[in-house]
Amino acid sequence: MNTKNLKIDRLDDETLESQVQYTFPQILSRQADRLGPDKIAIREKAYGIWQTFNWRDYIRYTKFVALGLISLGLKREENVGLILDNHPEWLFAELGVQSLGAVAVPLFTSAVAKEQMFGLNRFKAAYIFAQDQEQVDKVLSCRDELSHVRRLIYIDPTGMRTYRDNPWLISFAQLLELGEELDKEQPDLFVKELWEGKASDVALMIMTSGTTGEPKLVMLSHENFNEMARKWLETAPIGIGDNWISITPTAWIVDQLWGVGITLSGGLAMNFPETSETAVEDFREIGPSVIVTSSRFWEELASKIRVKIADAGFIKRALYDFSQNTGLQAVDLESEKKAIPAKLRFLRWLANRIVSKPLMDRVGCLGFRGAYTGGHPISPDVIRFFRANGLNLKQCYGLTESGGIFQVQPDNEVKLETVGIALPRTEVKIMEDQEVLVSSKSNFVGYYENPEATAEVLKDGWFYTGDAGYFDDDGHLLIIGRKQDIMRTKEGEAFSPDFIETRLKFSPYIKESVIWGEGQEYITAFINIDFGNVGNWAEDRKIPYTTYTDLSQQPAVEELIRGEVQEVNKQLPKPMQLVKIILLYKLLDADDEELTRTGKVRRMFVFKQYKDLIDAMYSDKTELPVTGQVRYRDGNVGTIETTVKILTV
Amino acid sequence: MKAFRGEPSIFASARPEAKRAELEVKNLTLKFGGITALNKIDLEVHTGELVAIIGPNGAGKTSLLNCITGYYKPQEGQILFNGENITRFHTHHLTEIGIGRTYQNIELFPGMTVLSNMLLARHVHCHYNVGKASVFSKSVRNEEVRHREILEELIDFLEMQSLRKQLVGALPYGMRKRVELGRALALEPKLLVLDEPFAGMTLEEKEDMVRFLMELNESWNQTMILVEHDMSVVMSISERIAVLDFGVKLAEGTPDFVQSHPQVIKAYLGDTSTID
Repeated sequence: MNTKNLKIDRLDDETLESQVQYTFPQILSRQADRLGPDKIAIREKAYGIWQTFNWRDYIRYTKFVALGLISLGLKREENVGLILDNHPEWLFAELGVQSLGAVAVPLFTSAVAKEQMFGLNRFKAAYIFAQDQEQVDKVLSCRDELSHVRRLIYIDPTGMRTYRDNPWLISFAQLLELGEELDKEQPDLFVKELWEGKASDVALMIMTSGTTGEPKLVMLSHENFNEMARKWLETAPIGIGDNWISITPTAWIVDQLWGVGITLSGGLAMNFPETSETAVEDFREIGPSVIVTSSRFWEELASKIRVKIADAGFIKRALYDFSQNTGLQAVDLESEKKAIPAKLRFLRWLANRIVSKPLMDRVGCLGFRGAYTGGHPISPDVIRFFRANGLNLKQCYGLTESGGIFQVQPDNEVKLETVGIALPRTEVKIMEDQEVLVSSKSNFVGYYENPEATAEVLKDGWFYTGDAGYFDDDGHLLIIGRKQDIMRTKEGEAFSPDFIETRLKFSPYIKESVIWGEGQEYITAFINIDFGNVGNWAEDRKIPYTTYTDLSQQPAVEELIRGEVQEVNKQLPKPMQLVKIILLYKLLDADDEELTRTGKVRRMFVFKQYKDLIDAMYSDKTELPVTGQVRYRDGNVGTIETTVKILTV
Repeated sequence: MKAFRGEPSIFASARPEAKRAELEVKNLTLKFGGITALNKIDLEVHTGELVAIIGPNGAGKTSLLNCITGYYKPQEGQILFNGENITRFHTHHLTEIGIGRTYQNIELFPGMTVLSNMLLARHVHCHYNVGKASVFSKSVRNEEVRHREILEELIDFLEMQSLRKQLVGALPYGMRKRVELGRALALEPKLLVLDEPFAGMTLEEKEDMVRFLMELNESWNQTMILVEHDMSVVMSISERIAVLDFGVKLAEGTPDFVQSHPQVIKAYLGDTSTID
């Protein structure tokens, strides 16, 4: 389904502009009229086949969900929690809730029961949609503290037979039946409810990842999203019938903005993989036109490719090296805006034909017109790597509060280090202390029941992002890192931990790193090795190991990582070079609250948790006995006892 | 869109008659030379039951299963299935009347994909002949589509979507056991016979397997006999347990009854006086 060379069927500017005044469900109803039963709105792979829903199906199911919720008693402005995976029911549930003027609040399915309860209590959920038995169990385990929840609607009936007598639960199929009955009794009810909605209503609330302190609920209106969708549809290479594949968690803004907002406004087709395990294969079958995903996705893909190539035979390796070198030369010339000599152009064309294209096809990336990375700073090397292979990967920047991504590198001038320029009708300015401010109609409405926090970051229409940055000579924005994360050494040298961390993470053997050095004489780091890649490396060298803990403390692995860190040190100015490192005995994990659900490190928490280890790096110790805790998904806590070595680089 | 599709047709559409599985083992004796592997065994299994057979090594558990599934021919006694005497039936005949099984040591074709392995079990439900198949007529096509549909439902039920096209030989042990269960289910058996379905599995794989078996038994009324060593699993899922020792049935009853039966404790632990 490669759509690369097909014409883009864009919506006209007038339609796009007019759509900003509607709610999502209203736009859906208009799209259903315009695109009707002929265009595909949703695809889902089920039972091994791509099953399709057209735009009429889309609105029909949405209608039944909405009417079903009316039967149950949902009222305007109430909040509904959605603990859903990427399946069409998520869209029907979310839009159904929104067509009644209620607010959808997506939550991460990976969250543990306690976290989930905290979230649901925070916004007093009136109803909950839960994906399957696992999610239902989590909610039921804290049922006593959820007195405000009137009913729980579950999607997947597998394994739910023993719950049938629980009157608190109702299946999605039953909800649809309720909706269908009410539709027969009052055929005009849905349309009446639908058109009572206003674009300025709050459409959904997204929990911020909360790398610092308690997570906050960001209220976003239909207008915020529609305006953002309009900007993207005007600038990005996408049109009606193009494919978006839903692989990021539904509780993250990326799939909310793209999967719901942009696909609705632009008439794109939403594609759902069969399961998360088949996502790679399904991805390849769909060949999406555009992708926006986390830097982690690209980092992992890059290291996977490099590790596989390292395992390949001599000829393949030689061809790959030739292709990579040619590509990188060309990419570097391009970013310096120099002309590419004819010989290099030819070599690049050749490399593209025999290596890059088949490679990108293999990983499902050949069909992209645009590929974007956001969420977290990415190493420029990762971008160079993919661009050298002919993939138009660009860095972009945005926050949940700004209504998603508002800075993108333009097509003709991609500068690896920057996040490009602002989208139309978006103003960005830099304060004296280097904080980045943004103003546009897409800025959020406020934090839910937290006017103090709102007032702190939203002043006169300007959103204070909390990130430090600056403009370069071409007007491109560079993000240094979180303003509050910027550290100073004892000598007063400022440095951004993000800057060093992203460079470390380009190594295929380093999965995660956390930099320390605030007020200290030198800089140190925690490093999480990549279990898969380092494991393979160890197996090739006949180094026996058992667990992650064991592997991370192997002398050979220490040498390997030390070498990688020395390479990174070469790229860094003297005061920013790493002096000591610790290979952490466990992976930082969201279940242990060390990462956010979107995979960002919660620095303060990690600092408190591992204070002894950090102190040890600033003493003469060479090793330290530790007792660590690991929390399992089922809530059990295990302990790890080991000795951690402190390595001097 | 599972919620809309309702129950998989393979389980939902079956008439109660098609699920009827009344097994009666009467006075069964099996000898190998001078060794009596099974000595006058009586056992009844009724439709919708999940019956476990337990016992120490060499107790005759697998021998009993092999008699029921036609691998061994007992010297004495009878096996009746839905009123029919099947003691002397051949194995292929037994699959046709609705007895499917899995093996202790996995008997799949490692060089074939998961799909092909499972598709093989559908041969008992093939109705077309060589002539029609050679021109791939419309009826053949429809039938093949139907077979694939059923397999896909099973793949979905057993959560093997990512394995479909993988070679069985490349799968980890626990997954192969799952594929084997899938193949047995593809027969649409009335009686499912499982020989140590949990052996050699990790805790997580066991939990998954328990989930599948419970769902099959409780939601879809699948009749099952299983032999198993893992006591905690057996006790938690079986309605009725039969205990064998040296070819003799020591006890039969609910998990609680069997657990407190003095002879069972003796057979397993060798002593009765110090058991708590």
